[in-house]
Amino acid sequence: MEILWFVVFAALLAGYFALEGFDLGVGLLLPVLGRTRENRDRMVAAMAPYVLANEVWLVAVAGTLFGVYPLLEGEVLFGLYPLVVAMLLSWVLRDAGLWFRRRLDGRRWRGFWDAMIAFGSLGLSFCWGMALFAAATGFESPAVHPLGVLLGVVVSGLFALHGWMFLAWRTPGVFGGTRSGRALLVSGMAAALPVVALLAGAMPYLLAHSAPASTLNVLSLMALPFAPVMVGAQVWVWRTFRPGKDAVRLPSFF
Amino acid sequence: MDVLDLARTQFAVTGSLHFLFVVLTLGLAPLVAIMHTRWARSGKPLHEQMTRFWGQIYVINYALGIVTGLVMEFQFGLSWSGLSHYAGDVFGAPLAMETLVAFFLESTFLGLWIFGWRRLPKWAHVACIWVVTLTAYASAFFIMVANSYLQNPVGSVFRNGRMELVDFFALLTNKSLVFSYPHVIGAGLFTGGMVLVGASAYQLWRRTQDLEFFTASLRTGVVTAGIGILVTISFGYAQFAGVAEGKFGNSGLAATALGLMIESGQYLALVVLLGMWPLVRSLHRRRWAHPILMVMTPLPFALAILGWIAREVGRQPWMIWERLSVADAMSPGLTSGMITTSLVGFVAVLGLLAIVDYVLIARAIRRGPQRLALGAAADADEPRSPALSY
Repeated sequence: MEILWFVVFAALLAGYFALEGFDLGVGLLLPVLGRTRENRDRMVAAMAPYVLANEVWLVAVAGTLFGVYPLLEGEVLFGLYPLVVAMLLSWVLRDAGLWFRRRLDGRRWRGFWDAMIAFGSLGLSFCWGMALFAAATGFESPAVHPLGVLLGVVVSGLFALHGWMFLAWRTPGVFGGTRSGRALLVSGMAAALPVVALLAGAMPYLLAHSAPASTLNVLSLMALPFAPVMVGAQVWVWRTFRPGKDAVRLPSFF
Repeated sequence: MDVLDLARTQFAVTGSLHFLFVVLTLGLAPLVAIMHTRWARSGKPLHEQMTRFWGQIYVINYALGIVTGLVMEFQFGLSWSGLSHYAGDVFGAPLAMETLVAFFLESTFLGLWIFGWRRLPKWAHVACIWVVTLTAYASAFFIMVANSYLQNPVGSVFRNGRMELVDFFALLTNKSLVFSYPHVIGAGLFTGGMVLVGASAYQLWRRTQDLEFFTASLRTGVVTAGIGILVTISFGYAQFAGVAEGKFGNSGLAATALGLMIESGQYLALVVLLGMWPLVRSLHRRRWAHPILMVMTPLPFALAILGWIAREVGRQPWMIWERLSVADAMSPGLTSGMITTSLVGFVAVLGLLAIVDYVLIARAIRRGPQRLALGAAADADEPRSPALSY
């Protein structure tokens, strides 16, 4: 049972990096590829239908952390205190940017929230790298460590690449490239690579700190029957918004 | 204020902000689902307009529900790691169910609903908003399961220095839960109904062009508000059977909030059930009533916050009633500097976003049901660019 829940936890966290990675990547690329308002609208419209289905993977990670590794939940989040606060604020600003950018028509209004999307995406991507480094060193390293900063740059770079790949898949040719779904899959795996490495290293520690059998049994009984629905819903999102004619519908709600 | 006060303030402020948006989500979700179903059955433009207009209010409100909720979820680990150390095996299970199953599905299907306009088959699209409603209610249920455990720790035993789960079913039938969950749902419906009423009254007062639209919305709102407040009040009183003895004895604030909520709730119920319900067919013509209805709109929100103050402040000094104090639940090593910085950051950012969100909702109501962004046809307001331009 511990192994099953470790697999669920690892799949959720790796899935978050592979999926939300391209949303954050598109956000990072907004100031680069989205020099005009029309281009920014197209970039946001391309990722918009996926964002809600992608970011929720991290919410599920946090819930699973609480349910399956209650002894580590406080340790991990508290051990990363300044980073978690910065990541939450970045995430909040990125989301607010997406929800608010089209609610008023003014150029400055939309420009401001587009900047918040880029800023929030950068903060979240960069802090993820630093957080992975801090977790890998058992929260012993100083808050700002050169290797942590380097990993922040690497994760941001991987997300940006993944975001570019996503745009090249969903809006072929519009932002300078055309890529297949297979290429997107590869860049997704690359985006998830740092966290998969961390999970592989932390596996024995996580298994040893699982919640007792009674809790895991309840969670299995209550949560696992819904797994097919959850997977099915995610697949439905990808089928509904696949590239093709009318892939980027303007105006998009975001 | 010391560190503990600051940490409690952070939870109270972010939690209250979160609930202001959640309570409207709970009320509007089923209404939008019903409107969408009626549109799918009748195909009438009025029903389409109602779905899109109230759906848009619903999703603008939802944005703040999400972002405040994120901060809530992570705060347990940031400020209250003592809780997961002591009772994570029990308390973590409903929270995991909420995020892993209920909210996961809610968010995925909401994305499908918002962006699936003119893409999904008609009835599949309707099914999405019903799943969103159902999972929103499931989310609220699991959160109330977790909260009720703090009020009345059942289904667990103290073993090896921690609480261990022995009976999950006892958590689901907690006497602190069975009446408080319907009470919260009733409050949600009452709030949703009153927002329809207030918004429609405002438009009717301004002699709106969309008379049929706002007359229909006003009636839906009045009926919903009446049902909502009946449910809220009956389950509110029923809750007293499950309240721990002495809960409101030693806290002035909790007792005051409780008294204020009950008093004003009763007056509101009189107005809704004896004033608005009998006039439901003619209220849209009675201009003298419209300003009163507008002024009443914020009241359900205020009462909902009073209710949470009574429930949560009344639990003090306990995190888990007579088991774990809030002081012991606080993360060891939390410093005044850490909590002050994060408190200022969260309150400033979320507070400003909440104000912006309410301005956007008010503006959407003022603009009325013409030229809606939600479900707009492709290129409705964009200059059409030739296909070869890129």
